[in-house]
Amino acid sequence: MNIIVILSIVPDTETKIQLNDKNVEMDQSTEWIINPYDEYAIEAAIQFKEKHGGEITSISFANGKEEKPIRKAMAMGVDKSIIIETSSPLSSISTEYMNAISTQLKSSNVDIIFTGKLVTDTNNNFIGPAVAQILNLPIITEISSIHFSDNILTVTRNNAGQVEKYTSPLPILLTTDKSLNTPRYPKLPDIMKAKKKTITRVSYDVNENSPQITIIKSEFPQEKDSGEIFEGSSEELVTILIDALTNKEKIL
Amino acid sequence: MTIAIYLESNNNQITKSSLEIITAAQLIAKENNSDIFAIIIDDDISNIITEVGLHGVPIIKCSKNITSYQSSLYAKIISNAVKDSDVIIFPSSVHGNELAPMIAMSQNATSIPDVIDIIDQNTFKRSVYGNKIHQIVKSSGKIVLTIRSGIFDLPNKNEIKPEIIEIQSEIISETNFPNLAEVLNSISNRPELNEADIIVSGGRGTGSPENFATLIEPLADKLGAAIGASRAVVDAGWRPHDEQVGQTGKFVSPKLYIAVGISGAIQHLAGMSSAEIIVAINTDIDAPIFKIADYGLVGDLNEIIPKLLNSL
Repeated sequence: MNIIVILSIVPDTETKIQLNDKNVEMDQSTEWIINPYDEYAIEAAIQFKEKHGGEITSISFANGKEEKPIRKAMAMGVDKSIIIETSSPLSSISTEYMNAISTQLKSSNVDIIFTGKLVTDTNNNFIGPAVAQILNLPIITEISSIHFSDNILTVTRNNAGQVEKYTSPLPILLTTDKSLNTPRYPKLPDIMKAKKKTITRVSYDVNENSPQITIIKSEFPQEKDSGEIFEGSSEELVTILIDALTNKEKIL
Repeated sequence: MTIAIYLESNNNQITKSSLEIITAAQLIAKENNSDIFAIIIDDDISNIITEVGLHGVPIIKCSKNITSYQSSLYAKIISNAVKDSDVIIFPSSVHGNELAPMIAMSQNATSIPDVIDIIDQNTFKRSVYGNKIHQIVKSSGKIVLTIRSGIFDLPNKNEIKPEIIEIQSEIISETNFPNLAEVLNSISNRPELNEADIIVSGGRGTGSPENFATLIEPLADKLGAAIGASRAVVDAGWRPHDEQVGQTGKFVSPKLYIAVGISGAIQHLAGMSSAEIIVAINTDIDAPIFKIADYGLVGDLNEIIPKLLNSL
């Protein structure tokens, strides 16, 4: 099986964010990690390989900080990595980002592609379906279970309180939700082995004429005014709350 | 300019998040006299057409007799319908989020996911870095948007008789994958987190999964609310992941959010601080949740919730 994982490298979700006029600034102390939802994709790929054999290749973009998180993915079980170096920086919501990933996959006979359902920094859930559309592959997003036998893949996902069960042959692209699995922690011998695994760097010429999104401004959300804090007996507190929600806010 | 909106339906009724995108489309249209049309795909659409007409959408392009959702088929039908549209809007639902990028790629359009405000017909506000930053972005050319649910109001009533255009499609008979084999209904009658007007959310302070069930669930049911949970509670296995509110869970904007025993980690606050009214119940007066709560009750939830249940 030719198993692919698309991995985005993002600032740790604990990062304190600073702004210049238009954009978000990351300083030297920023910890760069594998996009949290992509860790479920890595784990799904490893489990798929353990059951059905094959090789796992990851695809990521260079940002100067990618090596450490990519080595972690390799320590978890990714066999080899492709890192795309672009002629100019690409936002992960740009069409060219999707094209660059797809270009790497077009010529290889892919069986199954996993990626996270969302990239946390750009709040972007477009990568999976967009790449599937370009490669003309079936897509199922936000999967919560996966089973493959007799050449038929069966997956489920939660949608608005219902569970949808899908079947499909391979090849396919799947995006992973948090409930799918528990990503493994790499063990020390695996971390050592990962250092010897192959990373291939490829270049991609960005088509500057492709449709673009420009960031006009970045700002902190308006701070909500803090309201009132009440102390007292539980009876008093309940009375205050019910009065406020009924008479003032008129929501009950 | 032409604006296309994809309206999702469930049991022959338009979903709340789809009704909200009618409002969003009308806001964009008001700026520059755009035309709006709706796209509907379902098996029986007569009810849906009436409902859309009630809200003043003049044109409906529809594909009927399609009994189950099928992403590649839906994407082909929608792509056909939006060839001449400038702005194409989807609700930020599971299906909407799956279809929107497919349409963006098929139309060579730019995509702007999870819009939270409209500045003008090609400038939008969205949130990034787990809701910690708002960004205003501008696009040139054709645009595909998804709109976060709960941000826009339901559309005003303005009854008209819409023009119906059936999308004839030979592609319907093709075999497409993946195939939706089965839909299992959930056991819960509670509203979905993203669609609920009221959310009752519990954290570590509830003490145990049993306490969560005996305090939070009845309160939610009494208020007709959805249940939310903090990451700590989900990671501990007390509650399912689809109830998690916050950075690696759901971003919600209900009318009322009641946070019970939630201290308010920054990742949680990012997921719910856009709620209209926030009520927090916590024993710790220094809990960060009180900084954004409209009504902060300092006290023991084990005493307050039962009394609240009795008084409602």
